[in-house]
Amino acid sequence: MMQSPRRLMIRRRASNLVSKLLGTAATLFGLSWLVWILIVTLLNGARALSPRIFTEITPPPGSDGGLANALIGSTLMSVLGVLIGAPLGIAAGTYLAEFAERRPVWRETIRFVNDILLSAPSIVLGLFVYTIYVRQVGHFSGIAGGVALGLIVLPVVVRTTDETLRLVPNMMREAALSLGIPRWKVTVQVLYRAALPGILTGVLLGLARITGETAPLLFTALNNQFWSKNLDGPTASVPVVIFQFAMSPYDAWHSLAWAGAFVVTMVVLVLSVGARAYLLKNRMDSNA
Amino acid sequence: MPSDEIVADAPAGTDRGAAPAPAPGPERSKLVVKGLDFYYRGYHALKSVNLQIPERQITAIIGPSGCGKSTLLRVFNRIYSVYAGLEATGEVLLDGENILDPGFSLNRLRTQVGMVFQKAVPFPLSIFENVAFGLRHHLKLPRGQTEDRVEKALREAALWEEVKDKLHTSGLGLSGGQQQRLCIARAVALRPQVLLLDEPTSALDPIATGRVEQLLSDLQREYTIVIVTHNMQQAARVSTYTAYMYLGEMVEFGATAELFTRPQRRQTEDYITGRFG
Repeated sequence: MMQSPRRLMIRRRASNLVSKLLGTAATLFGLSWLVWILIVTLLNGARALSPRIFTEITPPPGSDGGLANALIGSTLMSVLGVLIGAPLGIAAGTYLAEFAERRPVWRETIRFVNDILLSAPSIVLGLFVYTIYVRQVGHFSGIAGGVALGLIVLPVVVRTTDETLRLVPNMMREAALSLGIPRWKVTVQVLYRAALPGILTGVLLGLARITGETAPLLFTALNNQFWSKNLDGPTASVPVVIFQFAMSPYDAWHSLAWAGAFVVTMVVLVLSVGARAYLLKNRMDSNA
Repeated sequence: MPSDEIVADAPAGTDRGAAPAPAPGPERSKLVVKGLDFYYRGYHALKSVNLQIPERQITAIIGPSGCGKSTLLRVFNRIYSVYAGLEATGEVLLDGENILDPGFSLNRLRTQVGMVFQKAVPFPLSIFENVAFGLRHHLKLPRGQTEDRVEKALREAALWEEVKDKLHTSGLGLSGGQQQRLCIARAVALRPQVLLLDEPTSALDPIATGRVEQLLSDLQREYTIVIVTHNMQQAARVSTYTAYMYLGEMVEFGATAELFTRPQRRQTEDYITGRFG
């Protein structure tokens, strides 16, 4: 009688230990690849980094240069992507969460289609914009690139806006409506305020996602060795330059590709860590 | 849940569809409910309810969970209409006008009939803006007047002294009891004629509950108050008239002192003496 509970305890301890070890090992295995990628990128990138990256344009083979035109191109197209995707996404997410109550089938259909768009391969979106825009105007352009990136931001923002608004308690809506205030005003002045951290996080995560996108830009913005005079012509972007330079046989280009990878990685890291930290801080504030 | 046997032999709803219940007291009736039925996606939640709510008195609605007391309250400012599939038929007269008439403006109704909910839900705005929110929309007052109205509402809600030095901090930073009084201030700021309270103290501790109850008896001088409560002692403490509902029917309605000491119906007696519910 004395032995049995002790043996049971030992068995439980052992199985606890084994599952803990397996779980930790699996986590470390998964994380090690990420850490490896980050370390290699940061080490090689830091070595290749110099102020010229930000001041000079992409060089022809055999001479020195930087990534200034690609950085500006990426920034402009990402901003354009967010300007297209975020307002549309916030409006659509608001419709789904607040105004589609009486049409549940329609609403769920839109949610489903949005989820498909969310998981659509980005190269397909690039081809789509190529067909409906680039082919029609007859040339590649930064605008087409921005539109393709906007299509990637859109479903991310729709989803986060929809979900954060649905997290706002119904009682908040009822309390505001019971003051005799129309629905749109309740949404804009009360619900958006309650959901703001979530919506903003969605926009930042969308931005983080398009910062590193290459495929949709290949068919839309193409690339440019020089400064683009405006966004209505082929435009350089960091990811496409990395793609082109990394495949080349030139060491100077390799080094620039590493520098580009470093910059993109840091931007994405800062954006997504920042977005999550912001969301976490707001959650804790509202719980306090 | 109440047991079914007790229901079976109780004389429930024998006077269904009869003439409107007479006013319970000498006061003028502010709200008159006539043959009100309510359907919740096909479920018959209120069955031919008749009721007259006296002006500038506190009327309590009691009854076990699911009896329709909150549903009835939510008809009085048509807040139920936010959701799909809910339908009310019959008449609810506010000063003689049928508020269920589609022509009756919702926003006008809600400025006349204010509501306070079970859980305090301050808007994510400052204390001042919480109270000023409704005012800003409905009345374009000069700045000074808005400030006066906010102060008056906060005083009415017995919250002014506690918050006057931090009006511009978030309403979410207040304690639970203060938040509920803030919600009352927000509702009275629009000077409604009727104030609906849906279990306003069920999430509060006894001290905060006591403050809110005290506040209600001060407010009844100016407002017609309808309070839904689970707590029979609370109904007995604060109200002048009490309605007892069961399974969507108005079982008994009368002066609180009368209903609690000499109930007319067996069912009411069973409930208030704690034999079920």
